Amino acid sequence: MLKNYIKISLKVLTRRKFFTFISLFAISFTLIILMVVTAVFDHIFGPHSPETKTDRALGVYAVKYEGPDAISTGPAGYGFLNRYVKTLPGVENVTIFSVFETTYTFREGEKVKLFLKRTDGNFWDIFDFRFLEGAPYTADDEKNGNFVAVINQATRDKVFGGESAVGKTLEIDGQRFRIAGVVANVPFLRFASFSDVWAPISTNKTASYRNQNLRGEFQALVLAKNKSDLPAIREEFKTRLANVEFPDTKQFNKAFGGLDTTFEQASRNIIPSSNFESQPGKLLAVIVLFMVLFMILPTINLVNINVSRILERAGEIGVRKAFGASSWTLVGQFIVENVVLTLLGGLLGLIGSLLVLDAISRSNLIPYSEFQMNYRIFTYGLTLALFFGVFSGVYPAWKMSRLHPVDALKGGVR
Amino acid sequence: MIKHMIKLVWNRKRVNILIMIEIFFSFIVLFAAILGGVFYIDNYLKPIGFEYQNVWRIGISDNQNREESVASETSRNNEPAQPGSPQAVNSKAETVRQLAIAVREFPEVEEVSFATIAPYSNSTMESAMDGDGVPIRFGVDIVSDDFQKALGLQVVLGRWFSREDDGQQYQPVVINQLMARELFGDSDPIGKEPRRPKKGPDKEQSNEPPRRIVGVISDFRKDGEYAASENFMFRRITIDDKMEKTPNNMLIKVRPGATAALEERLIKRLQNSARNFSFEIEPLSKMREEMNLIRLAPVIAGGLIAAFLMIMVAMGLTGVLWQNVTQRTREIGLRRAKGATKNKIYQQILGELVIISTFGLAIGIIIVSQFQILKVIDFISLRVYVMSMIISVILIYALTVLCGLYPSRMATKIHPAEALHYE
Repeated sequence: MLKNYIKISLKVLTRRKFFTFISLFAISFTLIILMVVTAVFDHIFGPHSPETKTDRALGVYAVKYEGPDAISTGPAGYGFLNRYVKTLPGVENVTIFSVFETTYTFREGEKVKLFLKRTDGNFWDIFDFRFLEGAPYTADDEKNGNFVAVINQATRDKVFGGESAVGKTLEIDGQRFRIAGVVANVPFLRFASFSDVWAPISTNKTASYRNQNLRGEFQALVLAKNKSDLPAIREEFKTRLANVEFPDTKQFNKAFGGLDTTFEQASRNIIPSSNFESQPGKLLAVIVLFMVLFMILPTINLVNINVSRILERAGEIGVRKAFGASSWTLVGQFIVENVVLTLLGGLLGLIGSLLVLDAISRSNLIPYSEFQMNYRIFTYGLTLALFFGVFSGVYPAWKMSRLHPVDALKGGVR
Repeated sequence: MIKHMIKLVWNRKRVNILIMIEIFFSFIVLFAAILGGVFYIDNYLKPIGFEYQNVWRIGISDNQNREESVASETSRNNEPAQPGSPQAVNSKAETVRQLAIAVREFPEVEEVSFATIAPYSNSTMESAMDGDGVPIRFGVDIVSDDFQKALGLQVVLGRWFSREDDGQQYQPVVINQLMARELFGDSDPIGKEPRRPKKGPDKEQSNEPPRRIVGVISDFRKDGEYAASENFMFRRITIDDKMEKTPNNMLIKVRPGATAALEERLIKRLQNSARNFSFEIEPLSKMREEMNLIRLAPVIAGGLIAAFLMIMVAMGLTGVLWQNVTQRTREIGLRRAKGATKNKIYQQILGELVIISTFGLAIGIIIVSQFQILKVIDFISLRVYVMSMIISVILIYALTVLCGLYPSRMATKIHPAEALHYE
């Protein structure tokens, strides 16, 4: 039976080529947009190298302090993280690293802009960087304030002409670093791990960062032993935040924040909240709302086309009805036909999104970003295509099934 | 005639309501895209109030209290400099003074000035004034006396900061024309001392000297060409012992034709003058490109998506109308047999379409106007809003009529004999 329906639907598709073209265009275009958006989200929030342990990692990316007259929001200070995050019990590992800053190096009179991130030694254990040559610096390097650095592939290409760089010297911001290793490029949007150059925190120009008890330019990432430990660690940090010791309570006396996944962090920044709560649910709702709003127009368009197409087949419906086909059978048939159409459109959409993603990656709009298709995005796209097909087919099918056989045989509707 | 057509539309309400909904949503999508476009074009045509050519930004960081760089004006006022000791402050002012001297020594450098926030940068400072109980919000920058010359700001009333402001009982401020008009209407703002709000995060501090307006500039749109014109205020910074923290930016004007080689020499020189400091250097023209790209990208992406949606709607609508005409062969044939000309048929099909679009558009306009009435998007002026609405309405009518042309031509080709043959 199903085979028959599919056969009929393919026949119908070739009959009115203009309509088929419109439907396929609408479906594939809509899916391209939705899949590209999803791929970008996956690129930012999904587990990708070097941030592969996202399921059991949480970060302190920003904190907020409130006082009688002042508010201060942003990355935390080193002293704060060292005292309240580094010492969290029951975790596997904690790393503290700075927010990347812009620096320059000069090569043959040309300025090369490089992002610099200062990290501790644990950074290299928590993130899975792919080393092309050399090795990371260690906790000892950090302790002793050794001027060693890890650079990415792009920096090696720009500064050392692509030749092996380990052991060579890189001068940035008036400081000279010996290069210990070269890693593959990290996408710009993975802001926890991203940089061009990584160097030990202790190479900071002054040691004043150690006294930053509240705000500063540092972030921390906590790696739990198990995913199940996360709620307890979050709770513990909340308690610690409530008991932060303030150097001057007239200035600030309340701290807000929390341990976040990257998506929760994004929601903390985007969705305003008086207590600086992270509201991932709300952010997700906003995103879904936008996607639904975007899908309304293509759906109505598809419904419209389907209604027209179906009325054209009034004669066929009349015959089937006259020979005893129930309304439900007809609805089923039409939905199957529609799903076949949308799956076809889904296939085109998949090819289209691969092309678009490739174009965005090549355009270098976002440094080092390789947007890729993977099974998560593909499954999502497939689900959407199916949903689209069923949804846009229901109303026309219902309308068709209510057709009276006599009217239908006459070939018209009132 | 119109009444009759409305009746015809009503008779086929099931099909027509779907078309109407489609037109309604098309209008919303098109309007959003066009609003973005018109808003940017409108902004682009207005002067930004400063010259970015040959101006370079040198970011200065003393690696001590970097956390304050993006703080709001209020919190900055209340946070003491981190080390706190007056000696540290003094030496910092001395270092900054040395830096300015070092940069001035370069023959290619024409002007040297300091600013807390650089144009085309991502940081902003905001504050508010009390305007009869309602806070009037504005952007703030704290700059040195040479800032006006380095960036070519146009003073239209009064004067820019100068030595005569030293040691006065007031804090001199310069505002832009927009803010002068909002605060004082047509009366002369020079010498006035507007108050800060009594409460809220921007409330007046007890020990704060009054702010006196000494001059008005044409405008200063910090975020550049595509940003809307907003209220703006400049406060004065002097590099002296009272300086609380290092200004974050040195803005220098260089001779035309200066290259990266000069950047390298400047940076080396600065690093030698202050070992504990970090420096960034970037021409404003480069920052402008980046800022404009960030601002344009979403509008271009939105425009492309809207354009594709419109193509999709156009094709869908053509298909649906075509189908409608085929269905109404008998009706049209009968009219032709009773003596209606081809033109009349044309008019009927297109007329019906225009009526459906008008209904769809009417709902769209009512809904879209609510955003402006309820002040949801208040940074967009009424003029831009209305203009975008008119353009969208015209485009939607054009689109629907264009889609109706081919199907209605088909309708006129229906031969009466053939059509009536059905019955």
